[in-house]
Amino acid sequence: MTTANDVLDALQSAFPGAIQEFRVESDNRLWATVDPNKIVEICKFLRDEEDFDHYSGAAGVDKIDEDLFEVTEILASHGAHPVVALLKVKTPRDTPSVKSLTGLFWNADWYEREIWEMFGINFEDHPGLYPLLLVDDLVGSWPWRKDFKGYPDYNTNERVLEKINPDGYAEYKISPTEAEIEAGTVPETRPEYPTFREREIMELETESEMILHMGPQHAIVPGPFMLDLRVDGERVKKAYLDVGYIHKGIEKILENRTYIQGIPITDRMCYLASLSNNEVFCGAAERIMGIEVPERAQYIRVILEELSRIQSHLLGTGEFLSLLGGATFSPFQWMILDREEIISCIESVTGARINHSFVRQGGVRNDLPDGFAEMTRSALKTVVDKTNEYKELLLSDNIYRKRMEGIGILSPEEARRFGLSGPPLRASDTPYDMRREDPILVYPDLDFNVISRKEGDSKARVEVRLDEIIESCHIVEQCLDQIPGGPIREKVSKKIKPAPGEAYYRVEDPRGEMGIFLVSDGSDKPVKVKVRGPVYAYMQALPPLLEGAYVADVVAIAGSMDACTSEVDR
Amino acid sequence: MGISDVVPIPVVIDEELEKWTVWGRPLTNIWLTTTEKIHEIIDMGPIKNILNWGRKNSLWFLMQPMGCCGVEMLVFGCPHYDCDRFGIIPRATPRQADVLIISGYITRKYLPAIKNLWGQMLEPKWVIAIGECAISGGPFYDSYNIINNTSDFFPIDVYVPGCPPRPEQFIKGFRELQEKIKRREDERGY
Repeated sequence: MTTANDVLDALQSAFPGAIQEFRVESDNRLWATVDPNKIVEICKFLRDEEDFDHYSGAAGVDKIDEDLFEVTEILASHGAHPVVALLKVKTPRDTPSVKSLTGLFWNADWYEREIWEMFGINFEDHPGLYPLLLVDDLVGSWPWRKDFKGYPDYNTNERVLEKINPDGYAEYKISPTEAEIEAGTVPETRPEYPTFREREIMELETESEMILHMGPQHAIVPGPFMLDLRVDGERVKKAYLDVGYIHKGIEKILENRTYIQGIPITDRMCYLASLSNNEVFCGAAERIMGIEVPERAQYIRVILEELSRIQSHLLGTGEFLSLLGGATFSPFQWMILDREEIISCIESVTGARINHSFVRQGGVRNDLPDGFAEMTRSALKTVVDKTNEYKELLLSDNIYRKRMEGIGILSPEEARRFGLSGPPLRASDTPYDMRREDPILVYPDLDFNVISRKEGDSKARVEVRLDEIIESCHIVEQCLDQIPGGPIREKVSKKIKPAPGEAYYRVEDPRGEMGIFLVSDGSDKPVKVKVRGPVYAYMQALPPLLEGAYVADVVAIAGSMDACTSEVDR
Repeated sequence: MGISDVVPIPVVIDEELEKWTVWGRPLTNIWLTTTEKIHEIIDMGPIKNILNWGRKNSLWFLMQPMGCCGVEMLVFGCPHYDCDRFGIIPRATPRQADVLIISGYITRKYLPAIKNLWGQMLEPKWVIAIGECAISGGPFYDSYNIINNTSDFFPIDVYVPGCPPRPEQFIKGFRELQEKIKRREDERGY
């Protein structure tokens, strides 16, 4: 198996002098600062020679003390080896510019657009640097820079001016505060680019084509996002996706909170997977602090994360089925009833239904209550029975099969190129699961299968989810049998101050690979938190997936991805 | 207002009719009423109570999940909490909905869109703000992208606090709204 040292040796022999600094954190984490002029060649070498075919994202860090911006490219592999290479590129703060990786990795597009709109770092050779999450009037003020002032501000609202335009729609203008004007963060010259609407209209080719809007509010969307389809008759020629309607700026907010205060914020990144989000945030801090979590706490975390996976899959699948068959398609109603049982089990431990804030740095908040094991076992039994019933029901339903079989097929190569993870990737014949690839907590001690399917169509994606529910039940049962006694939290001081350093920690979210890149400078607040979410990749893959589909199949394809908009927008 | 405004008849006849009176009041005032007049009569009398009784027991809400509260909204519409028993039914389009639930953070980008949704809903209509984000920005109060005070843009009838509130609190919020409609104290005065 390749280790980080092997990768480093290969890099140093292939590019002598290009690696300016390096740190081998463990067998599967390699940190390196590389020559900005050679980043593309190095990434190409890693992709072609060392199997780093999974571009996990990029993070920008504002090092205002050193007058530098740092862009960290996160590269991993789809199953060939567990090494994650984090390559840092430095660029001066006054004219920030780095080379784009869009030529090598298809999915670098969105990550680089995000860094551009938030930091103002230019990416050379990027095909279209348009804003992704921000509204047009914030572009140019670069909100994630450390010297961005004006916000936080309590009275955004008094500054909002409402104006009704000639078409009868309201337009809003938010004037800058005095603090902003004084700090000079109000952009004087804004970057010029065509708006989202202009870009899609420019691409209309013939008279018979039209743009069909789905969203921001639409029955198919689990949260607001806009899907515009360029259709010719019943065929989708091209799809355009506009996200950012619920962009909350969580990554910036986390920089203004202490490590403990940050935990409730991470809950709200994806409210169906809040326990995994807690886990990934706390786990990253634990890596920097070098704490080992007590075994009982590890078991409790695994139990709750798997229960959380079950409830997320039940809701996601149920909601999707209701979209396919209209509101009366009854599995949704049944799945919500099953979900309530799982939710009561989680609630008996954490005290909350969906936003738990339960995991802590060094352990968990409280112990399992009395009678939890019996309660959970009986709930799991119901869920397993019911899930088998749903599988049988869906298999025997002809209408369902006709709508789902062979729709939205993703080949394994394509799925990997899109940077997908989680159920959509596993449905495309790639058994790639973080619990196996980069095991955390007590997962290595547990016996479970990684579910995968060969077909890669919408039906396979739903089947993978239903099978994962049963597999998760199996994991929870094992944990309940094996859980040892002992402390539930390592002794950590109340004011958490990790040593200066960085960590990249990833877990298997219900929806796929969730990673957090955390930078600490020794104070009680993180310098930078970059979230690499699975749904970000799903959404990016959605437009090419919809190309060539029928309008009627758009719901079957988009819904089967089980996207959670809140996590994309953060 | 004369008959000729409503029915195409010669103006001469209209002028003649206007001279006619019944017990000293012009005939046209009694026989030919306008929509506004009907509304005035309904507003004064107890017939409004009957209309409001119907309205308050068929509050259909717009499925518009925006944040964490959106998940609880889905659950609220499902069997375990069973909102149907109060006549509360989820709808997928604003054209069929009576109640707009603001179930999360309103951002700079989404504010025009949600205002648009509100405009598309048919009267009579009400707004419920669910959760801290919709009330005051909640945990994201210091974000650069969040609109803090929703009540300046929507005539909010009921605020349901919580982050997120439980589905039971959704029921309580809707019951409060029903009470308000019954007592004719809602923001838009139906």
